[in-house]
Amino acid sequence: MTDQELVEKLKNLLGDKIAEISNPALRRIFLKVEPRNLVPAVAVLKKDLNIWYLATITGVDLGDAFEILYHFGHDHGSLSLRTQILKAEPRIESISPTIPGAVLYERELQDMFGIIVNHIPDPRPLVVPDDWPEGNFPLRKEWKYERPAETIPGGKK
Amino acid sequence: MKFTIPIGPQHPALKEPISLRMTVEGEVIRDADIRLGYNHRGLEKLAEERTWIQNIYLTERICGICSHSHATCYVQGVEKLMEITPPKRGLYIRTLVAELERIHSHLLWLGVAGHEAGFDSFFMYTWRDREVVMDILEMISGNRVHYAINALGGVRRDIDELQKKNILDGLEVLKKRSEFYFKIGANEPTFVGRLANVGYLSKERAMELCAVGPTSRASGVARDVRRDDPYAAYDETPFDVCTADSCDVLGRTVVRIKELFESYKISKFLLKNLPAGDIAVKAPRKAKPNEVLSRYEAPRGENMHYIKSNGTDKPERLKVRAPTLANYPATVEMLKNGFIADIPLIFAAIDPCICCAERTVELRDARTGEEKILRFSELRKLADERHKNCPTKRNAEWPF
Repeated sequence: MTDQELVEKLKNLLGDKIAEISNPALRRIFLKVEPRNLVPAVAVLKKDLNIWYLATITGVDLGDAFEILYHFGHDHGSLSLRTQILKAEPRIESISPTIPGAVLYERELQDMFGIIVNHIPDPRPLVVPDDWPEGNFPLRKEWKYERPAETIPGGKK
Repeated sequence: MKFTIPIGPQHPALKEPISLRMTVEGEVIRDADIRLGYNHRGLEKLAEERTWIQNIYLTERICGICSHSHATCYVQGVEKLMEITPPKRGLYIRTLVAELERIHSHLLWLGVAGHEAGFDSFFMYTWRDREVVMDILEMISGNRVHYAINALGGVRRDIDELQKKNILDGLEVLKKRSEFYFKIGANEPTFVGRLANVGYLSKERAMELCAVGPTSRASGVARDVRRDDPYAAYDETPFDVCTADSCDVLGRTVVRIKELFESYKISKFLLKNLPAGDIAVKAPRKAKPNEVLSRYEAPRGENMHYIKSNGTDKPERLKVRAPTLANYPATVEMLKNGFIADIPLIFAAIDPCICCAERTVELRDARTGEEKILRFSELRKLADERHKNCPTKRNAEWPF
């Protein structure tokens, strides 16, 4: 299946759910959907196009919004599904019920960007330590790391 | 009666730190949980503050075994962003180093598998022979581990005729030795008996859980980025994708041995058809605002880098997905209903690379975060409360 055929198929299957579709390079397709259409679009990819392999989820901080990219791999290249949510209300629906392998990446997204993934099967932190202070999301652009002052346990205050 | 036993982050059975928590019933594992975060380095954040060239150095240090794979994945993405095309000869040398790296990584893994299965002479044999390919890599690049062969726009070192001959001789030795291992693998009943039917992962589950690399190929999923989405010189190189149908650790061993032979074949082809010409082109300092998705088949599975540029000499975002992270959900599946004694074997069979999988955040005293469910202060508060409420010792009576 060539890129062009896949783009046509996607247009037929998803119809007006597609906000934007582009094919910037060979075997690379970027598809933009509204957040509310994300889960149905993923279901269509899996059911009708047999694209079952989610490579990873990337979050990008755009300033006042987050862009979330779901990178899928298939036999003829890769397809990235992207969506944008407002930073003021960082919520996105989980795709783990459709793609069970997505849960680790969704947990990483929660830790790194503070995006709340609704209906995630396992909401525990993945990569940050248990005593990580709340409200610190390292991959947000405004977050800067400051080394905490060193204290000696039991030492002088 | 169920017990939860912690394994790691520091444990003699693990080569790198990771925390596994096993819920066991007698000898049988009923549930497994993987806790990451012990080894985090904050690499993706750091990459945003480094220039395109400094990041080659950084990405090469994501992993200590498949160092070339992350660097190549990054470099070929940035080349697309900068709109430069490396010369053919550069791409061939890059691919050659990639295949030699796969050989050394798979030989290393075979040794680890032999060791975990209690077959230590196998471990010593494979690691001895691995030195042959390590010497080849040192001859090409000057380094044994971090080859630093990649540059933006090509590679940094050329191969001459004498080196070519030496590499071909070395590959011949390795091929003979690998045939011997293949024979051992197939004919040594204790070895086969130890590996067969351990760590079962069905094809359906491998697909659902998005497993990658030899782990998924051993479950009959014929996926290989080198074939599906060819990069570097793979579109000109003939090779087969190796699979197995047994879905267990034995299958994963067979797939890796078969891949060794494929790698010998590819390396020979690349050397014999090495085009003449330059090895690199000059790269600009900055990249226009754009985005690119770069994929690479590392020895452990698919690497994926998503790189976004903003017109400066630094990336806006670098997302790294290492294969080990993708294989964790599948590992949990494999561990379930296995035996405690199989943990090292199953875990080793995905060829885990913890330092690859953990690269994203700042490490901030993870020491305290690992085995504890509550914070220490909360724990102390709880202990105080319990002490206040519990009947004092004076009132306690000896039951008999």
